[in-house]
Amino acid sequence: MFFHIVLERNMQLHPRHFGRNLREHLISKLMKDVEGTCSGRHGFVVAITGVESIGKGLIRDGTGFVTFPVKYQCVVFRPFKGEILEAVVTMVNKMGFFAEAGPVQIFVSNHLIPDDMEFQSGDMPNYTTSDGSVKIQKDSEVRLKIIGTRVDATEIFCIGTIKDDFLGVINDPTTI
Amino acid sequence: MSVEPFNRLVKLTARAFYDDITTKGDNQPKTGRSDNRGIAVVVLDALTRRQWVREEDLAKDLKLHSKQLRRTLRFFEEEKLVTRDHRKETAKGAKIYSAAVAATTEGPPFGKEGEEKIKLHTHSYCCLDYAQIYDVVRYRIHRMKKKLKDELESKNTVQEYICPNCGRRYNALDALRLVSLEDEYFHCENCNGELVAESDKLAAQEAGDGDDNARRRRREKLKDMLQKMEVQLKPLMEQLNRVKDLSAPEFGSLQAWEARASAAGRAVNGDSSSNDPSKSSQGYGGTPMPFLGDTKVEVAFAGAEGKEVDVKSETGNASLKVLPPWMIKQGMNLTKEQRGEVKQESKMDGSSAAAPSGFSDDKKSNVEDDKKSLQDEYVKAYYAALLKKQQELEEAAKQQESSNTAVSDGLSGMSNRQVGMKSKREDDEGDDDVDWEEAPVAGNTSESFKVNDLNVEAAASPEDEDDIDWEEG
Ligand SMILES: [Zn+2]
Repeated sequence: MFFHIVLERNMQLHPRHFGRNLREHLISKLMKDVEGTCSGRHGFVVAITGVESIGKGLIRDGTGFVTFPVKYQCVVFRPFKGEILEAVVTMVNKMGFFAEAGPVQIFVSNHLIPDDMEFQSGDMPNYTTSDGSVKIQKDSEVRLKIIGTRVDATEIFCIGTIKDDFLGVINDPTTI
Repeated sequence: MSVEPFNRLVKLTARAFYDDITTKGDNQPKTGRSDNRGIAVVVLDALTRRQWVREEDLAKDLKLHSKQLRRTLRFFEEEKLVTRDHRKETAKGAKIYSAAVAATTEGPPFGKEGEEKIKLHTHSYCCLDYAQIYDVVRYRIHRMKKKLKDELESKNTVQEYICPNCGRRYNALDALRLVSLEDEYFHCENCNGELVAESDKLAAQEAGDGDDNARRRRREKLKDMLQKMEVQLKPLMEQLNRVKDLSAPEFGSLQAWEARASAAGRAVNGDSSSNDPSKSSQGYGGTPMPFLGDTKVEVAFAGAEGKEVDVKSETGNASLKVLPPWMIKQGMNLTKEQRGEVKQESKMDGSSAAAPSGFSDDKKSNVEDDKKSLQDEYVKAYYAALLKKQQELEEAAKQQESSNTAVSDGLSGMSNRQVGMKSKREDDEGDDDVDWEEAPVAGNTSESFKVNDLNVEAAASPEDEDDIDWEEG
């Protein structure tokens, strides 16, 4: 799920940036530092949409670096248990398959793949129904439901299922 | 627009899901006296015999404290079974409503209006929302089933893996760390052994047996629960099916209903504002809510023989006239038992002799059979309870006759919730000749209906709506 929230961060800036463009430097550094990172609490920071305020800088002893408290708005993506996501399959093996929904990695184990789909090994390992009409392989797009998340301080990993109504392949890369 | 199938749906729902509900604050001591289980059923039943009803009137009719009733109704509002409406009104407004009631239900006389005239009060009204009840019940059953099935099929469980070499365990959340680039299996971080999914045979053997047993037991329990649910909710589900293609009774908003009802009443009865008390005492034939009660039922409880007979015939007639077959049966059943207080032994034999057929295979899809076994069991339980409790009840009865207002409290105060007791309590409602419909309740309770289990699920469901996580539980 996406959220638009306000976060705060203490930015350290090298003294060489002090000047007219201090603010721009600060913001571009913020984007570089924050976008694409993941915090267990808020999820993945997708994009910074605005800076609310930049507080007074504090010179650090010894280094000359200055710390600015910056409040910024950003869009974050945080997967939840029970959420339905569309994801791209990145790897298929005998134990199940891995998929990505944006920055999130999801593993679907083989017992959460419908029973009528069988694993086929080979160059392009895949799960296929007995009549061959549905196939899951690398680059397939699937709709899945998240049934578990592991949230570490800097990482979120999910496991999902496609063994439920309206879940499974939503397009087949071989037919494009 | 037929109300009856929907009323039956409500009654079955009440007994299946709300039989055990208590509606009281947590801060109140859970003494026997404040134990008001069963009230939910009584209130729902009473509502099936009414349309829009002023909550004070309902409380009066049920001899409940209005606070207690309000708490119950609020609960049902949250459960989406009941719609409520509140408005400030003068005596005039109250009159409009009373007139409307008189026109549609010919309910208990509203001659007392005089007392309630003066003040401007907020009055609350309530009414069953049949269409929504249908949806809510279906949804509830669906969720119950899905939850059990999902767990049974371990749909939403996290797959576990185990290393056959060193016994180290992993689960699917570790998957990223376990993939190997060489082959298609997961490998142990420790010894690089090939991991096996825990449900596979090898893993089952290597893993602790105790854990496995626990899992098996859990599965058994789930299966059992699912099966019991199928069996015990069968009448409810069949009723849902029956109701499926009928259009639900729709009373509209309070205002609309009032307008409609009083207009119709005027057309039929002439001036509806002339609240002739005698009107309320005559039969209910042709009115939309045919069961609106006769106050005579109270006496059945008092145990006065002559009056009992009186009531019996009353109920018999009423049910024969309007009830669908299944209800007639129960009505007769009860009639029998009321009549048979003297020679109950023979009666009991008769019914238990009939029992085994309907009893041994109560899973038969035939409703009648189901009903029959329920009835038989009810009769048995009823007599058992009756014998046991007769003394107490008679005493209680005497007390209650002397102080008729505290009736329901006094009864619920008696700690033991015997079947007999319950029927007494319902009789107590006063305005309802509900004898016939008690059979299902009694059947359920005596059959150790798994309401408890169901309620566990049920209790979870309201939160569930807000909480995404719930079904993974
Ligand atoms: Zn190992």
